[in-house]
Amino acid sequence: MTALTSHLKLLEAESIHIFREAAAQFRAPVLLYSIGKDSTVLLHLARKAFWPAKPPFPLLHVDTTWKFQDMIAFRDRTVSEMGLDLIVHTNHDGLAKNINPFDHPPSVYTDIMKTQALRQALDAGGFDAAFGGARRDEEASRAKERVFSFRASGHSWDPRLQRPEMWQLLNGRLGKDETVRVFPLSNWTEADVWRYITLEELDVVPLYFAKERLTVERDGQILMADDERMRLLPGEEPRLRKIRFRTLGCYPLTAAIESDAIRLDEVVTETLEARVSERAGRLIDHDQAGAMEMKKREGYF
Amino acid sequence: MNMAALSEAQSFQPAVHPDDKSEAMLRLLTCGSVDDGKSTLIGRLLWDAAGVTDDQRAAILHASHARAVNGERIDFSLLLDGLVAEREQGITIDIAWRYFETERRRFVIIDSPGHEQYTRNMATGASHADIAILLVDARHGVKRQTRRHAAICNLVGIKKVILAVNKMDQIDWSEERYRAIESDFRGIAGNFSFSDIVSIPVAALTGANVVARSVEMPWYDGPTLLEYLESVEARTEPLDAPFRMPVQLVLRASNDFRGYAGTVTSGTIRVGDRVVDARSGLGATLVRIATMDGDLESASSGDAVTLVLDTDLDISRGAVLTETQRRPTNADVLEARLVWLSEKPFDPEAGYLLRSATDLTPVTSMSVSALIDFETLASAQAHDCGMNDIADCRILLGRSTALDLFAELPLTGNFVLVNAIDGATVAGGVITWVQTGAAAVGDNVLVLDRARLSGLCADLGDSPDDRAEYERRAQEVAILLRSAGVPVLIDTDR
Ligand SMILES: Nc1nc2c(ncn2[C@@H]2O[C@H](COP(=O)(O)OP(=O)(O)O)[C@@H](O)[C@H]2O)c(=O)[nH]1
Ligand SMILES: [Mg+2]
Repeated sequence: MTALTSHLKLLEAESIHIFREAAAQFRAPVLLYSIGKDSTVLLHLARKAFWPAKPPFPLLHVDTTWKFQDMIAFRDRTVSEMGLDLIVHTNHDGLAKNINPFDHPPSVYTDIMKTQALRQALDAGGFDAAFGGARRDEEASRAKERVFSFRASGHSWDPRLQRPEMWQLLNGRLGKDETVRVFPLSNWTEADVWRYITLEELDVVPLYFAKERLTVERDGQILMADDERMRLLPGEEPRLRKIRFRTLGCYPLTAAIESDAIRLDEVVTETLEARVSERAGRLIDHDQAGAMEMKKREGYF
Repeated sequence: MNMAALSEAQSFQPAVHPDDKSEAMLRLLTCGSVDDGKSTLIGRLLWDAAGVTDDQRAAILHASHARAVNGERIDFSLLLDGLVAEREQGITIDIAWRYFETERRRFVIIDSPGHEQYTRNMATGASHADIAILLVDARHGVKRQTRRHAAICNLVGIKKVILAVNKMDQIDWSEERYRAIESDFRGIAGNFSFSDIVSIPVAALTGANVVARSVEMPWYDGPTLLEYLESVEARTEPLDAPFRMPVQLVLRASNDFRGYAGTVTSGTIRVGDRVVDARSGLGATLVRIATMDGDLESASSGDAVTLVLDTDLDISRGAVLTETQRRPTNADVLEARLVWLSEKPFDPEAGYLLRSATDLTPVTSMSVSALIDFETLASAQAHDCGMNDIADCRILLGRSTALDLFAELPLTGNFVLVNAIDGATVAGGVITWVQTGAAAVGDNVLVLDRARLSGLCADLGDSPDDRAEYERRAQEVAILLRSAGVPVLIDTDR
């Protein structure tokens, strides 16, 4: 038996309630699995919600082909150990056009390889609901989102027309062409996620722990040269630094922090003491003001 | 406050806390009319109580200077108004959720919009709150929208209210003016069932009495806003509430596992206790409370569990498991007070569904009897209701479902009305009266069951679709019979 705090127990129960409501009300749900700490917690809660049965939906990973190698290894190990169904989708049009994070601005790259890819995968699978690990504390437009977030045709989000969501009652009745994104971790904070991972002894991608890694410093951010595709600017010389990541994504667009935290408790302490938000490490979100909202309007999760 | 003074004011407090705080998390709503300073107040609270990270601070300072809304001042509302349209128009459109912790407590803050047209969003926020801060601009006092928001807080079950009389800087920190607004509000609050009302004079913009005690108002000796929020009791669960668990799903797994998954909405159940399906009245003994972390001996309000019974009750999603003694009403008629959320007004001809706990029940007929007048807060007779109205109504259901009174058991006594065609949530309501059609007429009731309807339903089998069609036909027959004065009850055969 784990010894969760009463606060985490409450959050856990709320998330399980949301998973069950969605599974009961939607025809074909899918869980967006992006391999990071939030997805790890999301998946764990999904397993709890339906235990002893397996979660009644597959996992979907949108692979841009630029994820850290450690992430892919972790993903494959996790699904095979847990015996889950995984769908991996890549936007092959984008790949054929060689859309990549070096030659294209982050907004273009993200739109094609993440947002469009996600829309393709959801349409191809005929999914009417997609679970995501987004939290309201992540970012200002996320702070405005419902637990059942309705999307019009084309998966677009209209923040002016969100459905009222009162008490514990989740109304999942879809209108014509509507789909829904479901966010069971809405009320979790980054600190809650780490405390939960600690107390539940969950395995996370090793990139969250400090280690000597090959890096370059660019525009005041530390980037990891995860494979030979990393393009160096003139004068840049990769060197070893002891780093870890607070958030994971595509390696050319994810900044590392210098750290000595090698154990989970050290990571937790460092996170709780951090004076900048986790989004500061995501290069795509700085591209323009209201960037996240724009992406969501276009169908990003 | 200029930037230099600001960086000095922020003594850094490490946000490390013991794993569990002695007090429960407090869910806090801000409400009140447009421009009374809700977003500014919460922004100020977060700013002063260390709920803002350095990069967020830098972004806010940058944006405030670009806009120069308040001259040299920081625009704290930017911490909450996260949508592009909100920033462009300088208003709040939808609720914002913020999470922060102080040394003493965890908070969830829900900042709501003041505009009448976004009342549905405020109602959404209010339904998730334990306590409301109702803001009033000291220059204008209580407005119509302030009364509407107070009425919605009351409807959704909020018991504790803080009246924050804001912009005290604009009225020379006048005690007299403050006392007048306070007593005006206490008069209004007599219409509601709030258990605690405190009032605090504040200036969100300067921070007076938000986190730091105001030097300008020596006449005020009550707590600052943060002091009060850190000490107020969150919610009190009544001891010994009756057990309820609405069934969300039936879980089946290998080796004959069959369990009812749901969240306990009130009371406690122990292995060995008898439980009853509230609709059929059939009972069974609880043999196991299964979770992935191992079996439990008991489950209480708030726990998400899976119950395994000794006999199969043949129930599905929508059923409510209850203790044997104090059961919910298996109701097909109810009266309720609701807040209308849809832009489309109430239409007696439209098809609505009643979403209660985990059940979805067709509404056979619905009528409005009264509306609240937001000037006087009295109810006035009415037959229509539209967006942002609070109305009393009577609802006849197409079949019975297990319901409680909201005042007794809120989570099995609340509902939303759903438009059957487009799925929209059109109203949120609380049950004030329920009745079983059968109970009202005693033994004379005609029960429409499969045997009695065997001719009409000869073409129907046992598939879920056929059962639904059976239910629909039975309902049509029931409506005809009821209108001819024959008391009927449908046995839905579920
Ligand atoms: N003078 C003064 N202005 C305030 C105070 N609080 C808020 N304001 C201003 O009132 C306006 C409306 O504030 P806002 O927080 O957006 O109001 P909301 O609509 O209730 O969220 C803004 O221009 C604020 O700067 C205060 O205590 N004193
Ligand atoms: Mg506002």
